[in-house]
Amino acid sequence: MKNELEQNFVKQLEQHQNIIHKVCRLYTNNYDAHNDLFQEITIQLWKAYPKFRGDSKFSTWMYRVALNTAITLYRKSKRTINTQDYDGVAFKMKSEDYDDTEEQQLKILYKAVHQLNDIEKALVFLYLEDKDYREISETMGISEVNARVKMNRIKKKLRTILNP
Amino acid sequence: MDGLDLLKKDWNKQEVQDKLTTKDILPMLHKKSSSIVKLLFYISIAELVFWTLVNSIPYFTSETYKNKLDSIYSNGLMIGLTFFSYVVILVFIFLLYKSYKSISVTDNIKSLMKSIINTRKIIKYYVLYNLIMIGISMIIGFYYSSHYDPNVIKAIESAGMSMYIVISIIVSVVFIVVIWLFYRLIYGLLLKRLNTNYNELKKLEI
Repeated sequence: MKNELEQNFVKQLEQHQNIIHKVCRLYTNNYDAHNDLFQEITIQLWKAYPKFRGDSKFSTWMYRVALNTAITLYRKSKRTINTQDYDGVAFKMKSEDYDDTEEQQLKILYKAVHQLNDIEKALVFLYLEDKDYREISETMGISEVNARVKMNRIKKKLRTILNP
Repeated sequence: MDGLDLLKKDWNKQEVQDKLTTKDILPMLHKKSSSIVKLLFYISIAELVFWTLVNSIPYFTSETYKNKLDSIYSNGLMIGLTFFSYVVILVFIFLLYKSYKSISVTDNIKSLMKSIINTRKIIKYYVLYNLIMIGISMIIGFYYSSHYDPNVIKAIESAGMSMYIVISIIVSVVFIVVIWLFYRLIYGLLLKRLNTNYNELKKLEI
C-alpha cells in the first residue's frame, strides 16, 4: 500500500519536476543550494501527499507547497554557503530564438527578478506560470486587488530597469 | 516588447537540463527535513523540559532547599503554587500541540507564516511566564533570606538595607535580561527571514 502511494507520488513528481526546478532557480544562487531546496520541497510534498485528495490538480497543489517551502520553511544548510555561484544568469535560454538585443534584455531581466524580495519573486513566478489573479491571490493569501497593484508595480520596476 | 512579456515568452521554454528520474527522487523521500518548523518544534520541547527541570530539580535534589521552601510555604501555599505551575505547563503543552497541528504546508503563504508566528508566540509567552515566576521567587527569596538567614542578616547589618535591596534588584534584573536576550538572539536568527517576509506581505495589504 505504502509502496503504491510512493510510486504514484514519484511518478507525478517526476512528471512535474519542472515546477520545483523553476522555484529552486528563483530562490537559490548556486547548484548545491538548488539541490538542497529541491530535496526539502520533495520532502514537504511527500509529507503532505497522504492528505492530497486530488480535488485540485497535482501541479496546483505543488505550487503552494513549493513556494511555502522556499519562502518560509527552508533553512539554508551550512554546506550550501560559499559554494560556486551560478555562472551569471541562472536560467538556460535558447539563444537561437532571440536577437542580440532581446538576449541582452533577458539577461538583465532574469538578474533583476533574482534581486526582488521573496514575496515579489513569488508573485512574478505565479504570473510567469500563467496563473490568473484569483489563483495568485489565493496562493499568496492576499486580496486580488492587492496582488494586481503589486504586480503592476513590479512590471513598472522591470520596465525601468530595461529602459533607464 | 514589455519586460515581463519577454520574460514570460522565455520562461515557458525553460528546460531542465538534468531531469531527475525515479531513482533520484525515491531516496529523497526518506531524507530528513531541515525545515524551521521542525527546528522550532525541537526548541519548544527543549524549553518545556529545561524550564520544568529548572523549577523542580533544586526541590528534589537539595534537602536544605526543600526544607527551606517547606518552612516558607508551610501554609499550603507551596502546594497551591506547585499545582498551579503544573497546570500552566499542561496548558502550554496543549496550546503548542494545537498550534503545531495548525501549521500546514498546503495553506496559503500568509496563513502558513501566521501559524508559525503564533507558535513562536506561545513559546515566547511560556518563557516570559517562567521569567516572571523566577523574578517573583527571587524577590520572595531575597525577602525571606533578609529576615531568616543569619548570614544574610549579618551582611545587611554591616552593609545596610538599602545596599542589600540594590544588589538584589541588580542581580535579578541582570539574570532575567541575560536570559531574555539569549532568547531574542535564538529566535531572531531563526525567524528573521520569516518575519521580513511576513511584514512584506502585510505591507501589500495597506
